[in-house]
Amino acid sequence: MHTGMRSLAWGAALRHWTRRAENRLTLPFFLLALLAGAGCKRDPPVIAVIPRTCGTALWEPEHAGAAAVARQRGFEIYWNAPMRDDDTQAQIALIEKSLQRGYAGIIVSPIETLPMRTPIQSILARGVPVVVVGTELGFPPGPKLSYVLSDERAAGEMAARRIGSVLSGKGSIAILGINPQLTSNLDRERSLEVTLAREFPGIQVAVRQFGLSSVPQEQEAAEELLVKGPKVDAIAALSLASTRGVYYALVEFGKAGVIKLVGFDQDLLPPVRTGGIDSVVMQNTYQMGSLAMDLMDRALHGKGTATVLEVPPVLMTRENVDSAQIRQILNMAWWPPR
Amino acid sequence: MKSIFTRRHLIFAGAAVAAIALLAVCGVFVFRSIARRGPFSAQGISLARQDDWQAFGGTWQYIDGVMQNNSDERGAKLMSGPTHWANYSIEADVLLLGQYGDAGLIIRATDEEEGVDAYHGYMAGLRDLDNTLILGRADYGWREYAAKPVTPRVYAQQWYHVKFLAYGCDFAVSATAPGGETTSVAVEDPDCLSAGRFGLKSYNTGAEWRNVEIRPANRQDLVAMTAANRPPIATPDALPMGAAPGSYDHYFEPIQRDLLAHRADVNSQPISSLRLLSPDVPASVTIHGVVTLTSPVLFVQDPTGGLAITDSHAHAPLQIGDEVEAKGDAELHDFSSRLRNADVRLLWSHTPVLPVAVTAAQAATGAFDAEYVQIEGRLEHKDETPAHTLVLTLDDASQSFLAIVSGAAQVERLRALKEKSRLRLRGVCVVDSRYTRDLTAFALLLPSFNDVDVVEGPPWWSTGHIVAMTIGVLLLALTGLSCYILIERWRMQAVLEERGRLAHEMHDTLAQSFAGLGFQLEAIRDEANEGSNIVPQLELARDMVRSSHEEARRSIAMLRPQALESVGLLQALENFTRHMVNGTSSIAVRVSSEGSERAIPLRISDTLMRIGQEAVANAVRHARPSHLDIALNYLHSAVELVVEDDGCGFSLTSELAGFGISGMHKRADSIGATLTIRTAPDKGTALCVHAPTPPSFLRLFWQRLHIPWRKSSHGSAHR
Repeated sequence: MHTGMRSLAWGAALRHWTRRAENRLTLPFFLLALLAGAGCKRDPPVIAVIPRTCGTALWEPEHAGAAAVARQRGFEIYWNAPMRDDDTQAQIALIEKSLQRGYAGIIVSPIETLPMRTPIQSILARGVPVVVVGTELGFPPGPKLSYVLSDERAAGEMAARRIGSVLSGKGSIAILGINPQLTSNLDRERSLEVTLAREFPGIQVAVRQFGLSSVPQEQEAAEELLVKGPKVDAIAALSLASTRGVYYALVEFGKAGVIKLVGFDQDLLPPVRTGGIDSVVMQNTYQMGSLAMDLMDRALHGKGTATVLEVPPVLMTRENVDSAQIRQILNMAWWPPR
Repeated sequence: MKSIFTRRHLIFAGAAVAAIALLAVCGVFVFRSIARRGPFSAQGISLARQDDWQAFGGTWQYIDGVMQNNSDERGAKLMSGPTHWANYSIEADVLLLGQYGDAGLIIRATDEEEGVDAYHGYMAGLRDLDNTLILGRADYGWREYAAKPVTPRVYAQQWYHVKFLAYGCDFAVSATAPGGETTSVAVEDPDCLSAGRFGLKSYNTGAEWRNVEIRPANRQDLVAMTAANRPPIATPDALPMGAAPGSYDHYFEPIQRDLLAHRADVNSQPISSLRLLSPDVPASVTIHGVVTLTSPVLFVQDPTGGLAITDSHAHAPLQIGDEVEAKGDAELHDFSSRLRNADVRLLWSHTPVLPVAVTAAQAATGAFDAEYVQIEGRLEHKDETPAHTLVLTLDDASQSFLAIVSGAAQVERLRALKEKSRLRLRGVCVVDSRYTRDLTAFALLLPSFNDVDVVEGPPWWSTGHIVAMTIGVLLLALTGLSCYILIERWRMQAVLEERGRLAHEMHDTLAQSFAGLGFQLEAIRDEANEGSNIVPQLELARDMVRSSHEEARRSIAMLRPQALESVGLLQALENFTRHMVNGTSSIAVRVSSEGSERAIPLRISDTLMRIGQEAVANAVRHARPSHLDIALNYLHSAVELVVEDDGCGFSLTSELAGFGISGMHKRADSIGATLTIRTAPDKGTALCVHAPTPPSFLRLFWQRLHIPWRKSSHGSAHR
């Protein structure tokens, strides 16, 4: 055969086999590409939930409540908080980190009211929705900003009525743990005093003390009260740290159960059973977490409205500590069920 | 337009990419499956190499083989190792410093951050709150899988050996008490985390770790820990600790321990009141205060004052900011009081003390002894001792004082401080002579390099800066001068070019016209009859034209700069002179030069050339000399041109000293030269131009800048 003819024949054969290979490979190749494309699904939106601290009986139920709603709505949660519940700067740093990571929304429980204003405003300015849990910041809610609060006025009234009840309307009390840096705490205190004055005029407030940042400090303050202060029949402790600090001091001086302690924010449970702590006004943080995540979902879908929700507190006493209602509030199961 | 990429190309390219991706995935899979077996070697793990560990919260330090976290933060972590290790065990001796927390080991961790449970991984350890061995999983939230009471119990300040193993989705932990009693627990986590780093963790208490070992784990290792029992499926407890009925007794003891640990003596004394104690009667006192310095001596401060505590015994490592209760013997000194043999107990942490801003004069009174203060001063001197102590001597107004910082790392950071800087320092003010050396009223003990701020650098008018500025100004002046000379050179070049153009114009028009006129007159003269009246007039006209032609040629020669550019000044003058005397064999021309030849700036050489030409022309045309001497003398900082003839001379006061001499004077003035003419009737004429030249370093500088200089040497010229 002529050389040129041989070349043409080889070329034709090559083209033939190439075409056959094309025909056979095209379909699998595109199927493969389709499968690969289907595998690249979008990550779910991440919502940062930043309480005052975490790993406690007060704040882990918020994790559980928020996580339960997030699972239903297809969100992921970034749950983290300062290691101390008085570390405002660490909380602000976590908020900034969440913003830098591009999380879809932020649910935050401010440690202090005033320092949190600027960070929250700057988040809102970037169009990221925020739900503030536990305290008001002073500026009104809007489509991107909602509040979920514990009804502190009701909490103050609840504590006042419990004190009035256990003292039978007569005696003197001390109010410890007043925190002028936190609006919700001041609301508690005002409501407590107003209710006492209105409904139990026979009960006098003999001592008022500012809150301190840790349990030992609160313990020392309570010790001083018990040693050097006026005689009191009951103590209202307005924060978790002051409740525990006062309880420690009462145990130390053998006054647990003798001086009635009405505390705020769930922490130590065994002393409630024994009466060492008379009662604790609980924040329903589980429900607050659920509601906050629900409001976040609405805001992310453009359905956000200027919302302020108030969740009623619950009084935990020796009598109801094992009730279903209390157990639901204490539920810390943030993980998915198996 | 048809694409160069056909469908075939795309298919093959896609297939190639897919093959590469497949290979990569296989490679990673093989690597990870090998790696999942666990660490290849545990030899490289050491607590001593702190760079290998990453801290998330806590205050970690390694001392004598023990890693210590002195912080009671909730959730301090120290992590190490690669994220792909899967089946391995970590074991260590663990000691809890506090009464109300837990401490242990982390395994298979990833994505660690600062935070209580801010990591994905597993943790197992000892909790003295409820006396249990715990095992659980953190996913930015804690799931407690097991909490088993420890036999005999968990005591703080006691070493336990803890081993934590992960194999597949099974996890086992054991804790061995000093008496040899071992408590174990194991779980299976069906949706387990498959790989991750290891680490140390404490919660709500300080803790210590030693003898940390990492080993690869296999099924036999797991069986050895679980006694062949299948670990139960992990089920986390949804309620907080103590929520179960009947748990009060279980928790009362740790609560009791916790409250006793923080119980304070409400009858403690204010620190300032110690000054009022009797100096003769030993007194045991209790004070409360915040730690302001831990080294070289412990200092504490309360709202009334500060105090040094020597020979102290602390129950736990102390940090600045810790609130402590100290019981000891009060010791009174001239200007201060101390506490000796003190038992120091930590009450709580994180109580920052703000420094009191005082002047050196106020501190010098001793009123702020042992208090945390802030003072400003100007740094006069730095003195570093071999024992890694830096002593700064500072002045403020009329008072000098010392600032002392210890530790290699601290000294390293402060070594760069510049003397004469104004500093703001925060530290404990002491009047103790051990620190002041009785030379200053007080000294400042600085906790760290962070307590030094530079308020103002040293004054600008230092020797170095003045020298630098002088050099800068000189360079600026030189640059300006070079610019000026460059501009002058460009201007001179332009003048020379214009002269050249004029010379060409004159040559092409005036000189040619004179030549033509001469020829025409010559022709008319030839045609005219001899003896005709017109002949003398024609000859006069021809002579006048010839003279004018000569004059024009001379002017052209003077205007043309080429003569000076192509040869040196002296050579150019000689050429010009010989051209002038051409045909006048009675004038002998002598040319000479003295001194070391060097380049002469163009402006000077050009002016000398013009003056020389004028002088030579005057001599040839008017003086009728027999000798004409031209000399160019190179002096130290000047150049001198001398043109001398032995002609008829003239009186300087006569009319002869007219426009030509005046022009020469003007030219000489333009380059700052002096022109001297020595002459008298029948005494010849000597003309001397003395022109100063720039200093030699400038000449060198210009030569470096490649600025053309004209050399007077024959036949050479720089450009």
